[in-house]
Amino acid sequence: MPDTLFISDLHLDPERPAITALFLDFLASRALEADAIYILGDLFEAWIGDDDTGSMNQAVCEGLKACALADTPVYVMHGNRDFLLGSGFAERCGCTLLEDPACIDLYGRPVLLMHGDLLCTDDTEYMAFRKMVRDPVWQQEMLAKPLNERRQMAQAMRANSREQTGGKPESIMDVNSDAVVRLMTENHVQLLIHGHTHRPAIHDMDVAGHAAQRIVLGDWYEQGSVLVCSADGCELQSLSPA
Amino acid sequence: MVKVTMETSKGVITLELDSEKAPVSVENFVKYAKAGHYDGTIFHRVIPGFMVQGGGFDTDMKQRDTNPPIKIEADNGLKNTKGTVAMARTSDPNSATSQFFINIADNAFLDHKSPTQQGWGYAVFGRVTDGMDIVDSIEKVKTGNNYGHQNVPLMEVIIRKVTIEE
Repeated sequence: MPDTLFISDLHLDPERPAITALFLDFLASRALEADAIYILGDLFEAWIGDDDTGSMNQAVCEGLKACALADTPVYVMHGNRDFLLGSGFAERCGCTLLEDPACIDLYGRPVLLMHGDLLCTDDTEYMAFRKMVRDPVWQQEMLAKPLNERRQMAQAMRANSREQTGGKPESIMDVNSDAVVRLMTENHVQLLIHGHTHRPAIHDMDVAGHAAQRIVLGDWYEQGSVLVCSADGCELQSLSPA
Repeated sequence: MVKVTMETSKGVITLELDSEKAPVSVENFVKYAKAGHYDGTIFHRVIPGFMVQGGGFDTDMKQRDTNPPIKIEADNGLKNTKGTVAMARTSDPNSATSQFFINIADNAFLDHKSPTQQGWGYAVFGRVTDGMDIVDSIEKVKTGNNYGHQNVPLMEVIIRKVTIEE
């Protein structure tokens, strides 16, 4: 049966080659048979600009191009790590950048797609950071810096993020239920798919008196995680590294 | 070798097809060309720095009827280097019909590695002998999403006529 695959939070990093290999294998096998692939943020652990054409980035780009060539469209959403992914990357790798949030038709069912960080409204510190780094002027200034300087800045930001995240209560870093219901109501959907929290699950819920679902995608740290959706429904599956 | 003249809305591209190394793919291309299948089709997928693909859709992005798919010949030793022409296909290695693509870079990752679904690669069956500047101009066309397809030129690039030089 035709299906559509959703993944997120791969956090591809040259320091974790096994996960990159797992993703490339996924692109060259399972992905090629799908109707479409949606990558809902944080494909990369860090993205410092489309001009960073390191070997891992090139290999991923080749995998994405092979999908395009075999007629499998790939859609990529920004995450909180790879928010600088730009049109240069999308054009070169044959994929399409998605807005966050994005509403799609999934086998006749309207579905809202998000990375998920926008739903973590209780984490006011992060929301302020997000506002700063998503500002086009900030991004332009960042991208105008030499590649090496951007690389150093990204490392510092990641270290800072790890430090801050470590000290935050779990509840703050999860989605805010009111924000979820509000966005689903505003967009007239009964299904929301997102990543970011690394807490894969299918949550049954009620939105404006209708049975609804929020599906959270898993990360790609110890294994791969993919949501497989067909006209019959959706299922979370794991992928084991070789 | 089979010589082909491809008149496009951007100019003329001349191809040389390798009937010795890729007999099935060349015979297949010639058959479609002689039947007029390619006339009026478009380059419907353009990815800069990668390839330009055409030969399957008309200007309304309606897919033309095709013959049964052919056997893959990606293990013929020809490489996906810049200026070569290869058969397009889906994830099934033996699914190529009429669509082809022109490599606009050295795409070694498309070469044959093993007779497996992941390793088959794409079958090269010819090369551009003249008009690579026309191919380069197709590469520069702006693209977007159209009719549910990605990387579609926003200004049509039409294959007006494909002629086999006897």
